[in-house]
Amino acid sequence: MAAKINTLDPPSSASSESDILETQGDVSEVFIEGELEEERSGDFYNTPASPITVPYCPRPPSTGSQRSPRSRRQRTTSLNQSSKKSAAESMIRTQHRTIYTAGRPPWYNSEGQKVEPFVIGICGGSASGKTTVAEKIIESLGVPWVTLLSMDSFYKVLNEKQHEIADRNEYNFDHPDAFDFELLISTLQRLKEGRKVEVPIYNFVTHSRETRTKTMYGANVIIFEGILTFHHPKVNEILDMKIFVDTDADVRLARRLRRDINQRGRDLDGVLKQYTSMVQPSFNHYIAPLMSHADIIVPRGGENEVAIQLIVQHVQTQLQLRGLKLREELAQAYATNKQPRPDTVKLLPTTPQIRGLHTFIRNKDTPRDEFIFYSKRLIRLVIEYTLSLMTFIDKTVETPQGVFYHGNRMATGKICGVSILRAGETMEQAVYDVCKDIRIGKILIQTNLQTGEPELYYLRLPKDIKDFKVILMDATVATGAAAMMAIRVLLDHDVQESNILIVSLLMAESGVQSIAYAFPKVQIVTTAIDPEINDKFYVLPGIGNFGDRYFGTEPDYC
Amino acid sequence: MGSQDIEMMGSFEYCKEYKGIHILEPFYQVRELQTILRDKNTSRSDFKFYADRLIRLVIEESLNQLPFTDCKVITPTGATYNGLKYKSGNCGVSIVRSGEAMEQGLRDCCRSIRIGKILVESDADTHEAKVVYARFPEDISQRHVLLMYPIMSTGNTVSKAVNVLKEHGVKEECIILSNLFCTPQAVQTILDSYPKMKILTSEIHPVAPNHFGQKYFGTD
Repeated sequence: MAAKINTLDPPSSASSESDILETQGDVSEVFIEGELEEERSGDFYNTPASPITVPYCPRPPSTGSQRSPRSRRQRTTSLNQSSKKSAAESMIRTQHRTIYTAGRPPWYNSEGQKVEPFVIGICGGSASGKTTVAEKIIESLGVPWVTLLSMDSFYKVLNEKQHEIADRNEYNFDHPDAFDFELLISTLQRLKEGRKVEVPIYNFVTHSRETRTKTMYGANVIIFEGILTFHHPKVNEILDMKIFVDTDADVRLARRLRRDINQRGRDLDGVLKQYTSMVQPSFNHYIAPLMSHADIIVPRGGENEVAIQLIVQHVQTQLQLRGLKLREELAQAYATNKQPRPDTVKLLPTTPQIRGLHTFIRNKDTPRDEFIFYSKRLIRLVIEYTLSLMTFIDKTVETPQGVFYHGNRMATGKICGVSILRAGETMEQAVYDVCKDIRIGKILIQTNLQTGEPELYYLRLPKDIKDFKVILMDATVATGAAAMMAIRVLLDHDVQESNILIVSLLMAESGVQSIAYAFPKVQIVTTAIDPEINDKFYVLPGIGNFGDRYFGTEPDYC
Repeated sequence: MGSQDIEMMGSFEYCKEYKGIHILEPFYQVRELQTILRDKNTSRSDFKFYADRLIRLVIEESLNQLPFTDCKVITPTGATYNGLKYKSGNCGVSIVRSGEAMEQGLRDCCRSIRIGKILVESDADTHEAKVVYARFPEDISQRHVLLMYPIMSTGNTVSKAVNVLKEHGVKEECIILSNLFCTPQAVQTILDSYPKMKILTSEIHPVAPNHFGQKYFGTD
């Protein structure tokens, strides 16, 4: 009897440890099922012990007995590659296309409040095809920002004794006690809140967490997969949809055997012993019962196209219900809802100089060198004004003239700038010019020309930005969509709302209102506020496309 | 110090009576800059850095005093912006040496502005100021003049400089003094003699930071 496996899924639970890179090339495989059946049957209902008491059988179980423990361990680290690969902000290449190439669309509504991402939990035994199912869902969903979180990242750090046991391959990594559920739940919860998380990278050689972590962000869809995904009730509360991948035990065993014997050169007995004494008992005792928590049970794993299509349709419906037409909504919200300007809005006094500078940079016939020169002057003024909004305390100094002088000094300790690329970058130099040694972060937000929505592409922020007062810079603010996204990013990095100042040369009234309404503690600093926005979301009368004019990339109108 | 505070407040109020005096809006960061410049423990590099910042602010503010006319421009979106245009025919004049510290600030704002110079030396004993050198654009009588001098304690130097400008045909109402620190006495001296002139400063305080030039140019 022979069965055919079409796709060899890259497994990612710790109990299966083959390297994705190694396995992805293979497409089909024939194996003999009958041979395996009897060996397995006897241990079918073994009760697995807690992680440290299992007497025998190496774990990770699929490591062959022919290799030295050292090389075995090394290979287990390849697991991390699967979790690396699933990291949110990197690109995932599937067979057909690349996911995550587009920027991240808004994950909050027009009031700046976050819309909860849709969290999918995928549970199933080792080598059941969880990752394949996850990848197929991602591929079919067509949602650019998906975070794939693996339970493997949350293995507990082992103490010395446990480490020795693990070295003798007697530590049961399939047992619930092997996981740090506390960290797992807090991480998942933060992801669901759209906040930045530091996901540990588990080192299977040292059985500890590496000092570096993987940074992940909340996304529109979060997929959490692992062998014991539904084990903890709190995790189940977080999950919006629970999928159990129920692949036939024979198939799962066959995949492991094939992987371990064909690719790793291990002997049949060793692999089977590992499987029967630890992996399979754990499955029967802990994993299989979790099926009752599932909303959907997917038989045959990734091969089951119908099931995946159903899941995708459901998720898409859910996402549409939470749908976001941010820019349009922002523009409309203002039209129907005019309010007095809130006092977080700090408009520079409109002096003749400021009007004169505006006259230069707004004039469409101003040559670029003059445009750059005069916008720099205006930028300097707005940055100086921004500094005056910091907190100051009294300070008395001794003067060379022998008298004391009662002055003040800035009490705001840490200030950093964050520019919204590209136009915001033009303001960086002025910040360097007024603050010595200031740190500057960057956020790239571009408008998706099809949807008209802003999308987040790139992010580099000072590491401990949560302690900083942040001067967020963008040259112009029309609907405020990009600025709100940037503010949202900062908030997701735990920057306090009252520590953010959004600084720009020109804002539209509606953008000011939207930002002020969504983020009432953010200070809004600008040199001019224009009344209108046109249908292309440019400010009227406005400056035009500031970035294009400054950098000289405006399209030719000949 | 208490009495000096009162004295300062009093003189401040008194100076505000003059029409020609304009004080830079006392934003907190301006006050911080003044504090750093007055602190005797400030290093030279910090001193120059923060002095340049304050100078830039004073120059920007001084330019507000220059004449302008309304004008309309078309923006790239096709809309009209009601702006204004500064009249041409301005120039800067710096009083050597500390006034030259402000030239760069003016250049940063007006790239091709003409800048004249006056050297006034004051007699060490009599404190009488004497003009030693003066070089101006030829048509200075037709221009508005931004006179640059950062520290003014008695007003004698500036007084002499204004005299020279007037001798060259510059109208009194066309002279704007850009200044960082001045004493009430100096304000009084200048504006009593030249009531149509304008003074733009960042602070009026009875004690002037006379170390400015030496520290800025590093000749102490």
